Amino acid sequence: MLDRLTRSIEALLFASDRPLSLQDLCELTGCGPDAAAGALEQLREAFEEIGSSIILAELAGGWRFVTDPSLGDVVSQLFEDRRPGKLSRASIETLAVIAYNQPCTKAAVEAIRGVDCDSAVRSLLERGLVRICGRQETAGRPLTYATTDQFLSSFGLLDLEHLPRRREIDEILASGPPAEESGELFPHEG
Amino acid sequence: MSAEACRISLEAFEGPLDLLLYLIRREELDIREVSVARVADQYLEYVRQAEELDLDVASEYLVMAATLAGIKSRALLPGRGDLQEEQESSAEELLRQLELYKAFREVAEELRDSEATWRNAFPAPGERERWSAESPVRLAGQYTIVDLLEALEELSAEAAPESSETLERPRLTIASCISSISTSLAPGGWVPLGQIVGAGSSRLRLVGFFVAILELVRRGWVSFSQKSPFGELRLRRTGRWSEECSTG
Repeated sequence: MLDRLTRSIEALLFASDRPLSLQDLCELTGCGPDAAAGALEQLREAFEEIGSSIILAELAGGWRFVTDPSLGDVVSQLFEDRRPGKLSRASIETLAVIAYNQPCTKAAVEAIRGVDCDSAVRSLLERGLVRICGRQETAGRPLTYATTDQFLSSFGLLDLEHLPRRREIDEILASGPPAEESGELFPHEG
Repeated sequence: MSAEACRISLEAFEGPLDLLLYLIRREELDIREVSVARVADQYLEYVRQAEELDLDVASEYLVMAATLAGIKSRALLPGRGDLQEEQESSAEELLRQLELYKAFREVAEELRDSEATWRNAFPAPGERERWSAESPVRLAGQYTIVDLLEALEELSAEAAPESSETLERPRLTIASCISSISTSLAPGGWVPLGQIVGAGSSRLRLVGFFVAILELVRRGWVSFSQKSPFGELRLRRTGRWSEECSTG
């Protein structure tokens, strides 16, 4: 039998409608972060030991139970008519550019991809993978986009730092901004 | 390059950069080793073929074609230092753009893989609402411009039916026109058409009376006169009207 703290954390994660961070778990159980982390590890092992199809995963900044992806074909039947189809290549490329560059304008995405990204951005908005997060204070005040928590959990990411090859892409981006056309209307001389 | 190789539709590519990367990869070259002129030739050939096949070549492909043609032609001009420099910088910029796009395409591929896995990991239980038929209840701050647009679309879709009035078309039969003519066209004198129809009549009434008069003229019950083209039509009842009417 698991100890009370581990069982409490299990119950919280089972019932919660959002991922619970380590801090959430500490507040809800009144324990310290080390104890909570230990309990999480114990819980993970317990599920693993019995070969459960339930996995303890850390996604979008918090812990949650998810079903084993290898059983996707079985579970997905429950949502067959409600689940959106696979992302198109255009959408996933657009999503990648936004993810590493956020907040970023549509023009910046287009500068990198070299094609119009209108419909890709729209479908990402509809799926809740990106959101409009503001406007850029340049000519035309274009909208800027950022990814959502749903993006992180849909892609199995803990946070944006865990994007694949994060450091490498940042370096490439830093070596010179993409030739974005929506820059300042009257750039400073020199 | 064979025509067959070009037959691959531009549709298969995510834009000009994707096509360029494909051409470079086919040469089994690294981006930095590429002869821009050589790749430019192949690229232009692709676009030309696509145009020949009557495909709608997206403008971005043509913009890239122009850029490549520019780089290539400057490279061919000997001497001129300034041109040389310009050529190098625009070729350099293009290569950078290609590298950047290539990097993103690769991470997009990785992201696609992790999505393929995680899309099959079903969380418990709250996120299931995401796909529920009923939209989840959201707090005020969680709405976005997209929600507004969607709401607006729904509103206009279910907008109240426009208030309408049923208009009855006045029924005007040739028979009723003829009987009306018979009262206003007394035997004997010439009567102008305008007087029979009445001033300020609707077009429908005018047409109705005109057809009625054609019918009366055909039967020989009415004779008419017109002094000049487009002049006033004057009508007179003939003897036959009374005869046939009374016998018929």
